[in-house]
Amino acid sequence: MREVRVDPVNIRFARVMEILTVVGLLVMIIPAIGYFMGINQFVSLEEAIKHWDEPAHKFWEDMKGMEISGYSWFLNNLSYTDCLSIVGIVILALTPLISLIVSIPKAEKLYKVLLFILAVEFVIAIVRPLFMHVTGH
Amino acid sequence: MGYSKVIHVDVVWWFWPLALFIFTLVIGIIAPVSGVGGGVLFVPLATAFFPFHVDFIRGAGLIMALTSALSSAPQLMKRGLANIKLMAPVVVVSMITSVLGGMAGLWITNAFPQGKHYVNIALGIVLFVIFVVMVRSKRVEYPEVKSVDPLTQKLGIRGEWFEPSLDRVVQYQTTNLPIALPAFAAVGFIAGMFGLGAGWANVPVLNLVMGAPIKVATSTSMLIISVNDAAAAWVYLANGAILPVIVIPSVLGITIGARIGARVAARARPRLVRYLVLAIMLLAAVLDIIKGLSGLGVI
Repeated sequence: MREVRVDPVNIRFARVMEILTVVGLLVMIIPAIGYFMGINQFVSLEEAIKHWDEPAHKFWEDMKGMEISGYSWFLNNLSYTDCLSIVGIVILALTPLISLIVSIPKAEKLYKVLLFILAVEFVIAIVRPLFMHVTGH
Repeated sequence: MGYSKVIHVDVVWWFWPLALFIFTLVIGIIAPVSGVGGGVLFVPLATAFFPFHVDFIRGAGLIMALTSALSSAPQLMKRGLANIKLMAPVVVVSMITSVLGGMAGLWITNAFPQGKHYVNIALGIVLFVIFVVMVRSKRVEYPEVKSVDPLTQKLGIRGEWFEPSLDRVVQYQTTNLPIALPAFAAVGFIAGMFGLGAGWANVPVLNLVMGAPIKVATSTSMLIISVNDAAAAWVYLANGAILPVIVIPSVLGITIGARIGARVAARARPRLVRYLVLAIMLLAAVLDIIKGLSGLGVI
């Protein structure tokens, strides 16, 4: 019985994705334990339930008096357990991009171009909110 | 002590996160058994039965679908089942539309005073469409690809995996990429807009339109979801629609439930469970539409 030939680009993509997913899940869950135990919360759990039926922008206005646009709302508050937990989500959301970039050298010529286009699209998706606000208010 | 004002019943703050954990645990168990994706069940049911705003539910749904896809895709890629050559050309199109969908969904709820209700109605309608697709679409284990279109030929979209039930390596190729691309664009938009998983549509397109074997289609769909949902997640992050109090119990529940469900599914996949889940989906569609219409004061 012969071995299955799997494209090397698949293998590299999978390995990077596997590692980053574990890291992202750990970074998301470990601070969340502290958050649910009431340690150093940016959004108080007891306050949150009074506003979680409101649209996202109104929730933040009422909870913190802040207008959300971009990523500073959690990046500037990383000393709080809930914001730290969001860093785990950020790692998970970055995982496919990093896997794509790392895989480009292993790809065939045409796929190098395709993966590069995908990476550029991804970066635009990340930076777009920094210069384009779409919440309609 | 906090109290929920939505259901007008005094509950401690941890009631809803705990309920959410149990709810997603059950979804995680029944999803593999029924063959209906957990992401498709979560958003409509949570919208119908939980007090959270639909912005936060969609954000949590997206992160749930992303986490599930990231957890399963690497193993499938190493075995040759999920194929980056099949994913890449599709996602070049669907990533753009999934981000646009996420933007559109949040824009509607924020730009219009009644936006939340429009989204609920649209979600109910989309659920009806998903229901029809799930009931009607057939699955072909090993579709026969008679001719390959020039674009697929140029990209060399083919692969192989070892199939234990046949005790041999199965080789495959695909076709009809230009026909499939608009379908993936539409699916990406819907997935981004409602925070839904997209396996319900990805799999039939990959399997029936492009001719990928069913195992390759379901596995590559996971890979497509991981990239699309990761890109759309940034829209929700940038708008503050990701709340750990909602996301964490959901992700934990679905992850633990999916592991239990996978073991149960390996032993038995009774048709009754699938029909039951489809019926629940239909009920959620009706409830979401009623909720939207009553919110608008129509009924």
